[in-house]
Amino acid sequence: MEDYFSYAEKLFAPAEANQKPEALKGIRVLDFSHVIFGPVAARILADYGAEVIKLELPFFGDLWRPATYWGKYWKHSNPIWHNITKNKYFLSVNLKLEKSKELIYKMAETADVVIENFAPGTAEAWKIGYTQISKINPRIIFLSCSTYGQYGPMRFFPGWDLLAQAASGVLSLNGYPDTDKFYKLPDYLGDFVPGNFGALSIMMALYYRKKTGKGQYIDLAQSEALMRLLFNYTYHSVTGGAIGRTGNVDPTMVPAAIFKTADEKHVALACTTHEQFKSLLSAMGKENLLEDDRFTNNFERLKPENAKFLNDIVADWIKNKTCAEIIEIAVIASFPAAEVVDDYMICHDKWRRARGSVVLFKDDMYGELVIAGPSAQLSGTPSRTKWLARPLGYHNRIVLKKFLGMSEEEIRSLEKKKVIGTFDDRPGLKPPVYYNLDEDTICNYGKEVCK
Amino acid sequence: MSPKKQKEAIYTRHGSSRLAELAKALAEIMNPEGKAEVMDDLLILDASYANFAGIIAASLFAEFGAEVIKIEPPEGDPARFMTPFGVHVKGTGIPFIMEARNKRYMTLDLKNNNQDRAIFDKLSRKAAVVIETFPPGDMDAWGIGYRQLSEKNPSLVYIAITPYGQYTEQARKFSRMPDADITSQAGSGLPAQMGDVADKGEPYNWPLRAGMWAGWYISGLSATLGATVALFHRQNTGKGQMVDVATMDAYSSMVGIPASIGCTWGKARPRIGVLDFILYPYGHWKCKDGYVAIAAPRDHDFRALLKILKLWEIEDDWRYSSDRIPDILEQATHLHKLIEKETVKYTADELVGMALNYSKKSARSKWRGGGVPIVMRLMTPETAMENKQWHVRKTFQEFHDDALGKFTISANFVKMSESPPRVKWVSCEIGKDNEYVRDKYIKE
Repeated sequence: MEDYFSYAEKLFAPAEANQKPEALKGIRVLDFSHVIFGPVAARILADYGAEVIKLELPFFGDLWRPATYWGKYWKHSNPIWHNITKNKYFLSVNLKLEKSKELIYKMAETADVVIENFAPGTAEAWKIGYTQISKINPRIIFLSCSTYGQYGPMRFFPGWDLLAQAASGVLSLNGYPDTDKFYKLPDYLGDFVPGNFGALSIMMALYYRKKTGKGQYIDLAQSEALMRLLFNYTYHSVTGGAIGRTGNVDPTMVPAAIFKTADEKHVALACTTHEQFKSLLSAMGKENLLEDDRFTNNFERLKPENAKFLNDIVADWIKNKTCAEIIEIAVIASFPAAEVVDDYMICHDKWRRARGSVVLFKDDMYGELVIAGPSAQLSGTPSRTKWLARPLGYHNRIVLKKFLGMSEEEIRSLEKKKVIGTFDDRPGLKPPVYYNLDEDTICNYGKEVCK
Repeated sequence: MSPKKQKEAIYTRHGSSRLAELAKALAEIMNPEGKAEVMDDLLILDASYANFAGIIAASLFAEFGAEVIKIEPPEGDPARFMTPFGVHVKGTGIPFIMEARNKRYMTLDLKNNNQDRAIFDKLSRKAAVVIETFPPGDMDAWGIGYRQLSEKNPSLVYIAITPYGQYTEQARKFSRMPDADITSQAGSGLPAQMGDVADKGEPYNWPLRAGMWAGWYISGLSATLGATVALFHRQNTGKGQMVDVATMDAYSSMVGIPASIGCTWGKARPRIGVLDFILYPYGHWKCKDGYVAIAAPRDHDFRALLKILKLWEIEDDWRYSSDRIPDILEQATHLHKLIEKETVKYTADELVGMALNYSKKSARSKWRGGGVPIVMRLMTPETAMENKQWHVRKTFQEFHDDALGKFTISANFVKMSESPPRVKWVSCEIGKDNEYVRDKYIKE
């Protein structure tokens, strides 16, 4: 029999992923959403082959286009924005005009999915909500994203990822006990995780539609999505107490914490089973602890005072060893351990590149950029990157002409009436300065372009 | 007004009567009772072992109606014994109870018993999805890996969850290393972004673990999402495939930010404590009776916040968002303290009320510039449960189980008008459905 790892390598063959079929080919998504929560849900569908048309206001564009870390732009674009909105068609229409609504209604006729994350009630008030769209296309799957949901007394409260973290209680958990040192989850995780829940519920609705022919309305509140990730509520209902903050210690296993090594690095180490606990003890030369009544039983071992005792022993052991030594011992003794990695390491780790979870992408407009690959690799219909984010209104012509069958005159008249538009001079909205848009065949789709 | 009424008044906002009608109708429509279930025709085998990412992936399928059979050895999955501070209900830990939704429980010893493997093999021919978390190659060596199962059942979707995945040299080298939440967090880059600034002393300036199972929940969610895409493809073509989740990708692939920053900056970001890299103010502040979260990052939101806090005299120094981003830490910390000096004068409810009143007037006034400063009371999980919003939306569900007694779980995480997820039962004794499974799927 062929060796398992080379069998798996051939099965996934990350280098040939782009030649494999796409699971969502032929699915059309209208993406009215902005910032991160909604756009991420739409992006995931695009990664698997759906045709996602992102709508933005002319000259303003998505609020998140110019929002970059420490104000540092990369080729006049926002480096983190590329990963949030890649593979989409960028259409810029002025929603305030009646003519734009006609355009949207026409697109809705053939669309399968609509995603929006305006403040609840706004899409309805602008007449692009589920009530209107489902009249045009009853098979539509309509996802409304918000912080508190579309009904309930707090539905009109505005929100961001931070507010969902505050409302669910997640924010209060990351930090040290008995201090006021606690922190929000970094990098807008409170948008990204709910965004993935949004993609999941759309996939479920698509699966259901294939079976029954029925579309549906989906109301996703990001606070509720975060609540799905916590067992703190269950703990509270059983004990009446709270788990609270536990610093760098995971209170569900022992030992389990982040430790400092002799070479000033940080390493996470945990034992999930009794077996692993035993092999850690023998690696440390502390087998005698197994005879101690406090540590023979899993539940007994987890009691705060016993757990602290064990974590302290492990900390003492680790501080005299280098990070590489600890990892080497863990591989042999078979218990979980991992170095705390930062941005630079993630970007440059060889195995992530080989796996396809970090990708060096060559883009026609921006050149080379390292972006993250998918969290789950599919052997048959893998997700892939086709292009990065594009300037505001970049795909106006291709969408109107190819997808909506509009004539040159109709497009000209829409441009003249300012129904459709493009970017102004702000970074994040415009193309890189070295890039000549006039020579771009996609942006000028249907026009003569001389290079 | 009574204090309770007063509080309710702050945390309730009314729209137009048309929108109010719509919301009322929506609450009715979103009631899951009697609705169809998306995956009611799918059988899913969850053979995950000592790994909650697999259990969570299985739970999400079970909530959407799939028949999920949790397979564990007769002594129970070690996941049953992972629980905060050792708190358990009759031998079952809190996280396992929370994720024990809508599942069947069957005992099979896949690690050691050949006969049990044969039963699993038989079951898998009827299954749509298999979930496993053994070291890569183990199931294959036992004759029940994707290679063998897919031969007899080509439409099978096979989920494998491990630290480094099923292929690459790294996966081979680390194949015997088991998975844990904290290593998944650390190895995928979350703790590196959390914690205090460098000069605040140890251990506060260390990388910090998220106070939840971020690694495992992200991995489980990613597995279910990937597999549902695969199931959609199976629905269209009849073809199955393998879904490979590496938990060391969890955070970095979810947010995607570390890879791109590492590339464009050529170095790692430092830890900046309670501040945010892009937005300011965007974080939490002390107030008279606890903490509030404040988000007023756009320039007009910030101006509004200054007016509310009577800090208008500092406006000149901090006018643009580029003045407020913390690329110069001392400067940003200074502003943070200026705001804190004001917030501690009020209670959380007062601050929330002040911000709401301002926003309401601002929406209708051309003089106030449309700023929407958001201020909200900071909840702990325990206080969040009492919020009326979640009662109305039935976010928390209480269960009375014969064996486990009374407890609450968070459920109904998304509302869908036709085929919503739901939790029907939570019982989870070891081997409780052995006979049921044998009668339904194994006897011919």
